[in-house]
Amino acid sequence: MNPDHYIKRDVHFPLYDINLLNADDEALQTIADETAAGHDLNEMKRVKEYFTKLGRNPTDVEFQALGQAWSEHSCYKTSKPILKNTIFNIDAPQNILVIKEDAGVLEFDDEHAYVVALESHNHPSAIEPYGGAATGIGGILRDVVWMGAQPVALVDPLFFGSLDYPMDEVPKGVKHPTYLLSGVVDGIRDYGNRVGIPTVAGQVTFHNSYIGNCLVNVGCIGIVEKKHIIRSRVSGPGDVFIYAGGRTGRDGIHGVTFASADLHEESDTESRGAVQLGDPITKEPLIHACLEAVEKGLVSGMKDFGGGGLSSVVGEMALHGGCGCEIELDRVPTKEEGVAPWEIWISESQERMMLAVRPENVEKVLRLFADWDVEAVPIGRSVVGKNITITYCNTKVLELDLEFYTGGPEYDRPYEFAPRDVQERMPEEPADYNEMLLKLLCEENIACKGWVVHQYDHEVRGKTVIKPLQAKLGLEGHGDAAVIKPVENSWKGLAISCDINPRYTLLDPYHGSMCAIDENCRNLVAVGGRPHSFADCLNFGNPENPETLGDFVESTRGLGDVARFLSVPFSSGNVSFYNETLNGPIPPTPTILGIGLVEDIRKCVTSDMKVEDEAVYLVGQTFEEMGGSIYYEIAGGCSGDAPMVDLDNLKNSIEGMLDLIDKELVSAVHDPSEGGLGVALAEMALAGDLGADVDLSALGKMRSDIKLFSESQTRWIVEVRSGKEGTFERVLNSYGLSFLRLGTTGGKNLIIRDGKKELVNLPLKRMREVWEGTLHEKMG
Amino acid sequence: MDLKDIRVAVLRIEGTNCEEESFLAFKRLGADPEMVHLKQLTGDSSHPRKLKDYHALMFPGGFSAGDYVRAGAIFSARIKSSLGRDLVRFVEDGYPVLGICNGFQILVELGLLPGLSGTMTGRAEAVLATNDSNRFECRPTILKHVKRGNRVFTEKMGYGELFTIPSAHAEGKFVLPEDREKEMLEEMVKNDQIVFQYVKPDGTKAEYPFNPNGSILNIAGITNPAGNVMGMMPHPERAFYRSTSPNWTRHPLPLEDFGDGWYIFSSLLNYVSRRF
Repeated sequence: MNPDHYIKRDVHFPLYDINLLNADDEALQTIADETAAGHDLNEMKRVKEYFTKLGRNPTDVEFQALGQAWSEHSCYKTSKPILKNTIFNIDAPQNILVIKEDAGVLEFDDEHAYVVALESHNHPSAIEPYGGAATGIGGILRDVVWMGAQPVALVDPLFFGSLDYPMDEVPKGVKHPTYLLSGVVDGIRDYGNRVGIPTVAGQVTFHNSYIGNCLVNVGCIGIVEKKHIIRSRVSGPGDVFIYAGGRTGRDGIHGVTFASADLHEESDTESRGAVQLGDPITKEPLIHACLEAVEKGLVSGMKDFGGGGLSSVVGEMALHGGCGCEIELDRVPTKEEGVAPWEIWISESQERMMLAVRPENVEKVLRLFADWDVEAVPIGRSVVGKNITITYCNTKVLELDLEFYTGGPEYDRPYEFAPRDVQERMPEEPADYNEMLLKLLCEENIACKGWVVHQYDHEVRGKTVIKPLQAKLGLEGHGDAAVIKPVENSWKGLAISCDINPRYTLLDPYHGSMCAIDENCRNLVAVGGRPHSFADCLNFGNPENPETLGDFVESTRGLGDVARFLSVPFSSGNVSFYNETLNGPIPPTPTILGIGLVEDIRKCVTSDMKVEDEAVYLVGQTFEEMGGSIYYEIAGGCSGDAPMVDLDNLKNSIEGMLDLIDKELVSAVHDPSEGGLGVALAEMALAGDLGADVDLSALGKMRSDIKLFSESQTRWIVEVRSGKEGTFERVLNSYGLSFLRLGTTGGKNLIIRDGKKELVNLPLKRMREVWEGTLHEKMG
Repeated sequence: MDLKDIRVAVLRIEGTNCEEESFLAFKRLGADPEMVHLKQLTGDSSHPRKLKDYHALMFPGGFSAGDYVRAGAIFSARIKSSLGRDLVRFVEDGYPVLGICNGFQILVELGLLPGLSGTMTGRAEAVLATNDSNRFECRPTILKHVKRGNRVFTEKMGYGELFTIPSAHAEGKFVLPEDREKEMLEEMVKNDQIVFQYVKPDGTKAEYPFNPNGSILNIAGITNPAGNVMGMMPHPERAFYRSTSPNWTRHPLPLEDFGDGWYIFSSLLNYVSRRF
């Protein structure tokens, strides 16, 4: 550290002025590097210019605060201009607050709204999987609670390298996928289960491009009476800021700037301090206390401490309420002595909330928190004007214009889309289809995820009407979506699903991203939910690379095009850039959380086959769409054609399928995804412990393996109730939808023919061994 | 007494997390439940309460105080020191005490269960140990009701009948001290203390996963010798209605119907209303 750059103030606590006024470009760069505040040179110049006008140097508190406020993670300086043109502003009657806050708010019924938030916790989880994942859950819960909502469900889409990745090939400083998966699941389990919110949906995807940068996305859904929706702002001058929850420490310093840079070999040792420590047992009463205060009408505004800590919360709450604010930083409870003011200001210690409260309610709020054994302290107030002033032991340590402070830069970074060049290669047709189907069933992306799901409490709160695992008692079966019945005296439900297939987006970010929406719709519709809103977590590489940003633009364009066509809004989301590995960026991974509205949960359907001798139909069309398919990956095929979504067909299919379910014509529904028809039929049969005999000849002139394993979109396999086949076909015809009768349920074998050729004839028991056993074998 | 006058304390501290659904189970049946923080019973709150003003006490599931020492250990230590005497009197007066999941663990830590050597033994006589799988297990379980008489919590359940009630725990393996296991088990059987055993769907002896934890004798729930303290690992409050019970989509019956968990809450209230 060059002492000329940092001038110690004559006070009894650590406080420095950062000597920007005399710094040339080189010195600015050095200061940026040494302080790790995350500014690039342009931003350093902007800071210098501002303080030159004021005629003084910034304090370390001011300097660090700007680094936090202007990080990509906090202000979306790269993504915002692009998102405005793609996924923002989809009008829908259900919108109450969309894109405006960290969580979206949408209409559930006349009195209630539901709240959705989804975000990434990637870099912390790659360094410290247990703590990273656990605090991810903590953060997303707070996002929902500070809207005044009771969390009712958690979701967690996860992405790792292959569990079979050779241990000796794992790069230095990188952790093996087995260790990461185990740590992440432990973290989600220990936090989610303890805090008492069910984890009901998610996905676990394996692809070797995540070696070195696994993805941990976490989402939360809450329910709130409309009259209790709380905004993250002060009500006007004179509100008292009450700090509540855990104490502030040195954990989680520079979390957002860490999230806005590439991971590298030394990240583990350098950045462990950026990973926060979670404490669900402080969180649980904190949630209760906050919601009780909201219910009693004592709170004018509320915001959680997420990225950037206090520094992000206070300024934004004041500014959005049209005010300035004054904060006494020495009143913030700390975990230890000697935490510097700048550290208090930007620490991302967990389990903290900020409440804005009218002066007459302060005593009541403090008493309420005391009854819950939750620490709560007034630390400042909102004032007339646009300035934020912070003192520490009566010394002014920060004074900034709020608009400058929170008005981070916006960049129009250059981008170009680089189309992929893929050599088409059709694999040899399998000699033994039984063997091929078994290979697919034990492929780690397809294999049963029971090992993960049973570790999450998916039933706490007693409102999970459709569980994530759907099968005959004691067996396993993958459901398409879970359903929560959030309101006591109503049969309405929320269907919840998560999906993105990075194998498609890797080939074609535009169409691949459309598939993510298509699959979410399929999943929601399969249980009887009408697609109602989406949340997005956009995980990409370094946006300063034009090709990565090109993928981002294409991907969000794809998402926006389908959602807008369906008039289903994006309610909230998060952008996670800088997910880079030694071999380049991760695949474009726009994780989508889909929420469906179920009018009457009594009509919900699950994916397990149910009754002997019922007809099995395929709804939708099958094409030779093998790009990104698991079958090609296993069989050694290559294709650049990711599946495509026909928008009109998707829209009609949603209506038609929902009509079938509403008319109670079906016993089971499941959508083919990875592994196509073959795997979907097997999953339905395994879950219901009921075989089927089906014939694919009506699918047309394609090769049998293509018919069986193509991953074409907008398709469902449906078991139709006995005697309802005629009505079933009439309903689908009235929507102009394609469908085929494939065969009949029955027996304990899955038999798949293509005309006279018997392709598959496998006992369920044999399939179950490999499908259920794989993950247990790999994870222990 | 009238159902509506039956006051049930659903006790909580930080980390209990099944209190709302437990509260709702009693509420739906027309009783007068209240979620009570332990601090309210020990006088450290602005809204103090007294245990003797309630007719039933319930310890809901969760991770009281994080379960960082041993499941239920911290909660029970706090209760013992501040509320021990009141609790013994409450039990000896015949009021029902129900512990579910973490609540069961707490009752065992408190010495209220199995209670072979007194109402509240000084030391825990048993333990709910880590599941054999060494993992948290959230899955449907099937319970066989095997209590013959004095059925405070199960009078509406037939002997030998099966009930599907889900489990979700990491520490649910009922274990007795090795050197006294046989005699203690014999005594529990003799006292008719075993209420529920895990079984397979056909009613035969369960193995994993139908016994999710490896409990001896497939024990899922027990009472004290007097029968008015019951602990069980599975969660009846999650199966209060059929709509939240496992697998209802496979059996098309009216979803307004009650699930298998209903019997326990309903039996408990029946007992109180008859007895007091």
